[in-house]
Amino acid sequence: MPNFFDLNVHAYPETDVPVEDMYRIAKRYGYTGIAITNHDDTEKGKEKLPPSISTFVFRGVEIRTNSVSELKRKIKLYYGKVSLLAVHGGSAKINEAALKDFRVDTLAHPCGEKGEGELSHVLVRYAAKNGVAIDFNLNAIVHSRRSDRARILWKMRENLRLVRKYKAPAIISSNAHSVYDLRAPREMIALASLFGMKKDEAIHALSAIPEGVLEKKWKKETEVEII
Amino acid sequence: MEKGNGSGDNIKNEKCKVQYQFAFYILHFALLMLPPSLRERRRYLVFEVISEREIDKRELLDEIRSSLYSLYGDVGASESRIWLIGYDKKKDVGILRCAHNKVEEVRAALACIHSVNGARIGMRVIKTAGTIKGATRLTKSFLEKKIFVLVILV
Repeated sequence: MPNFFDLNVHAYPETDVPVEDMYRIAKRYGYTGIAITNHDDTEKGKEKLPPSISTFVFRGVEIRTNSVSELKRKIKLYYGKVSLLAVHGGSAKINEAALKDFRVDTLAHPCGEKGEGELSHVLVRYAAKNGVAIDFNLNAIVHSRRSDRARILWKMRENLRLVRKYKAPAIISSNAHSVYDLRAPREMIALASLFGMKKDEAIHALSAIPEGVLEKKWKKETEVEII
Repeated sequence: MEKGNGSGDNIKNEKCKVQYQFAFYILHFALLMLPPSLRERRRYLVFEVISEREIDKRELLDEIRSSLYSLYGDVGASESRIWLIGYDKKKDVGILRCAHNKVEEVRAALACIHSVNGARIGMRVIKTAGTIKGATRLTKSFLEKKIFVLVILV
């Protein structure tokens, strides 16, 4: 069985769910690791992880901002200090700035949390070049109904088509704010099949690609060039 | 058949009549039943619920149905033929029956449930089985394992 990872989970300083609870439930669901990516504007001081779960839980950050200059400043601030650097996507200019920057690891929900943003073929090409993983946020499917869900699924299908075409890394994540939002790997695969992702593709997006993102597998070449 | 029975012809005839009637009913019932080769194939999903409060069986079934109907529409939901066999609200596990080729669809519909009457819940399918017997066996072994893990954690 492959090792499953969930790279977009929000816990204690942002929500009132402690990290230990998330760890317990995720472990029971069969994950090998989760990354806590709280929004940087809600982070109240750095919480130290207990040593018993530090191999399972990765400390990350999700940058949420409206201006490109601030985004660049924050990327510079957090780069190298956290094991996962995510950007809260949504508007077109933020998506573009995040995907053009090789220091960013993942672009969380590029269509926004309600399916309002868009990705173009140019941006996905940048993602493939810079090794920025595009995140498919399944929480949006779970928490919406009818026309909202139809729009979100349509956007995801479009993104998936571009990702396949340019071979950009894609990951599936739950974007959970509580233990009730977490879903087991098999459920995530079933949810991913709703927007046309095949089973082996979904397993890859849940295991091998997140592992590569955490190991910075696609980053080494660019970093060496810059140094 | 029994010893010490009345030996009158009348009683004997009556008994015969009842036996014939009984056989007729059985035959009739057997003819109405689908032969095993024509019966639909089914899968039994053993599922687990994490919830804020205790969830009633009725509430849960309504939520599962509404989720399935909103995700696949009336036609898709009719094909999956779901039926809640049982749900233990104390132990948070249950068994759901569905058509054998619609397991992934039902799994997605279960994963889409996020709340029941305002209480947040999360569902996951633990195992699938081909018979109720197998499903109950899996449920039992799962519960034993759960208690074992809880003991270790405490």
